[in-house]
Amino acid sequence: MEIMYLMIFLSLLMAIGFLLAFIWFVRSGQQDDLITPGMRILNDDKKTIN
Amino acid sequence: MMEQPVHTTLTKNICYHCGEPFVDEIIEFQEKEFCCQGCKNVYELLNDHELSNYYTCDVNPGISPSNQNFDYLNKPAFRDKLIQFSNQEVSKVSFNLPSIHCRSCLYLLENLHKLNPGIIKTQLNFGKKDLSIWFKENEISLGELASLLAKIGYEPLLSEESEGKEKKKRLSQQTQLFIKLGVAGFCAGNIMLFSFPEYLGIEDGSLKNLFGYLNLVLGSIALFYSGSDYFKNIWAHLKLKKITIEMPILLGVMVGYSRSVYEILSHTGAGYMDSVSGLLFFLLVGKWFQQKSFDFLSFERKYTSYFPLVITKIIHGNEETAPLSEIKVGDRLRIRNEEIIPADAILMKGKSNMDYSFVTGESEWVPIQSGNLIYAGGKHHGEMIEIEVKKDLQQSHLTQLWEQQAFKDPSFKMENWENFANQVGVYFTIGLITLATVVAAYWIQVDPSKWQNSVVSILVIACPCALAISYPFALGHGVRWLSKFHLYVKDIQALERMGQVDTLVFDKTGTLTLAKSEAPKNQLNRHISEQELDLLYSLSVQSTHPLSRRLCAYTQSLGNRNLIHLSSFKEIPGKGLEAKWGDLTIKLGSAKFLDINYHSPQDFYSSESQLFIQIGEESLGYLDFPWENRDGVEYMLRKLQHHYDVYLVSGDKASHAKSLKDWFSEEGHMKFECSPMDKMEFIRELQAAGKKVMMIGDGLNDAGALQQAHVGIAVSDDHLHFTPASDAILQGRSLSRLPEFLQFSQKAITLIKMSFLVSLVYNAIGLSFAVQGNLSPLVAAILMPVNSISMLIIATWGMNIYGKQIKNKLKSYTVHNLAEENHILSPDIKRTLQSSMEY
Repeated sequence: MEIMYLMIFLSLLMAIGFLLAFIWFVRSGQQDDLITPGMRILNDDKKTIN
Repeated sequence: MMEQPVHTTLTKNICYHCGEPFVDEIIEFQEKEFCCQGCKNVYELLNDHELSNYYTCDVNPGISPSNQNFDYLNKPAFRDKLIQFSNQEVSKVSFNLPSIHCRSCLYLLENLHKLNPGIIKTQLNFGKKDLSIWFKENEISLGELASLLAKIGYEPLLSEESEGKEKKKRLSQQTQLFIKLGVAGFCAGNIMLFSFPEYLGIEDGSLKNLFGYLNLVLGSIALFYSGSDYFKNIWAHLKLKKITIEMPILLGVMVGYSRSVYEILSHTGAGYMDSVSGLLFFLLVGKWFQQKSFDFLSFERKYTSYFPLVITKIIHGNEETAPLSEIKVGDRLRIRNEEIIPADAILMKGKSNMDYSFVTGESEWVPIQSGNLIYAGGKHHGEMIEIEVKKDLQQSHLTQLWEQQAFKDPSFKMENWENFANQVGVYFTIGLITLATVVAAYWIQVDPSKWQNSVVSILVIACPCALAISYPFALGHGVRWLSKFHLYVKDIQALERMGQVDTLVFDKTGTLTLAKSEAPKNQLNRHISEQELDLLYSLSVQSTHPLSRRLCAYTQSLGNRNLIHLSSFKEIPGKGLEAKWGDLTIKLGSAKFLDINYHSPQDFYSSESQLFIQIGEESLGYLDFPWENRDGVEYMLRKLQHHYDVYLVSGDKASHAKSLKDWFSEEGHMKFECSPMDKMEFIRELQAAGKKVMMIGDGLNDAGALQQAHVGIAVSDDHLHFTPASDAILQGRSLSRLPEFLQFSQKAITLIKMSFLVSLVYNAIGLSFAVQGNLSPLVAAILMPVNSISMLIIATWGMNIYGKQIKNKLKSYTVHNLAEENHILSPDIKRTLQSSMEY
């Protein structure tokens, strides 16, 4: 059963990793705007008119 | 007969840039047609910079440009407030651009660097209509940047809210809450995992202790970090000696937490950490949902937001621009056409037609000669004038409104009003503590070993989390649904107040009625000749009075007019016009002015706006320029009267009181010639009589009343540009749907009450375990999340069903609208409707 201690430790570590990732992306503003990037991708840089 | 293909006519008659139909001339450029020089210039500019892709993203995406000058932004007083960040090379600013509407806007605005090399990068937030710009200040100044945006049709909206610091503060609050929510979710999830052995009844001493300690750490983080706002909140309320719904919740949470700490440290049990952290998580989800609703509308506006940001001072004969806050008594200001007077002042030079509709609701302009006093909030029409400031900004006629209690104390409404959740909170807390005491007393008598256990379980399980969750969710969804129908509610409390209203007070001008530049109703005795029309045109063109201008436009709409020279022109303010053509005297104006005996007809359409005509000795009758009712207003008033007390307050004269009798039939339900203060006082009187009043008004002149009322709804046709201090903003064309909206808010409250009953059932189950003193952590861990989630589901489903109900109703409403309306209308109105159709 000693292996359980290691696994619990690892699982907690992973979970904390995800939590830190979450905090990082909220702080860096990736959550601020969820609409524009989806529209941005549709815009071409090349000139296609006429 | 062949049918014309519709699409060709459509594309031919509108501007390639902005899609507006042509009014005057058509400007052709590169085989494309434009409605004005401005639109053509934008096209040319974009084409030169290879940005014509703009026109491929959407059909006619452009907006007519504006020529507003933003040079004043270069002054340090403005620049320092707006710039969010700056070093020698790069500065960052963000502008609010209300005219953003489609993907083309995104394309153009994010390619702004192609238009000017001084711009490094731009980033648009479409939802918030916010454009962040990184630029080199030594190459393009802030003023030039704003002017460039205005030139391509995206005029920045500048107000106090656009200050860099304010924006950052708001954003960081949202971020904080979101992180707290994430942390709470993390803790709750992991605690539940570590509690699994406990749920399954696996006995392993050492692991159990380890899990216990881990739960203790995670639970403490959840409570003291994620739940920190609750502590602050309750502390603030305790200082005011008030009980809120959060109190019994936190009591349960704290008791559960303390008990868990004790059990874990003493190795006597697993505690309730899972329930505690799970509950916190759901509470924060509710709070986040509540906060998410409105970013782009700003409701908390001060009076200064209505005034221009900048004024033109005259110092030693030189013009100088200065921020509004620098106005002092004795300053000389220069006011141009259509500018707003910032402070009470004396007119020194020039003549003015002052439009006080903003302040008094009176729609007619007041001519003012030099030497007379003018009041803040008036809009100047005419040549450039000079004024001398007589009163400080803070002591002005208009700003006194804001000195009222309603404005001084921002929490005025919140504190004076008990919401359902908080009311229940009081009873709930009392009931809970009574129950706990009774149970404790019982167990001390019967089996003293059990009393602690049972009291703790009661406090933990019986927390009224249902209310704390279903309340923000149901109302939050309600706010979201209403915004789809163009009623923008400030917060969920305002929506709840809406459901409680029993009295409605309407403003007239601008709210129920709109001045429309449409053809007047012809009430002339005979046909008038072309020459007579020319005479009327030549006379009316000389006056700036709104009615004259409408007559002028009307005569022009009937054909090309020739200007005839008239002599001895006279304008008698408030009465009419007079001039001579040869020996013939032509008179235009009110019935009194022309000495005509006249009684206004009894219909809603008639108003003060009848223009009588007299040529020579012959009286020709009159033209009735309609104040058009907003669509469906009659039907709406009819419907509302079944359930509400409906009143009308207006700044207009009582001259047409009779015509409104159909809708405000009861004695004293119409008040005329009300100043802004009178309106506010009237609402206060109604409130003193125990009424819950909703005020529906527009403009600055209703601001006091809107603020005083339980719910103040501002009717606006351009909600982004003009939002008085109100609880909600309603777009003009949705006004007729008010009955549905009110019903919707009532349903929302019923739904909350229903879900509260459901949660009481859960509580009863939990309590039946708890009073016996054997609430196992497993039961608590299942009951509490299930309770929270079912509240969430009831609130979401219920509100979505109600929302779809109105949506369907509104769809069918537009179809049956006329039929129904005709059914309930009085004969008078039917006749008016018919006559206006005939016309």
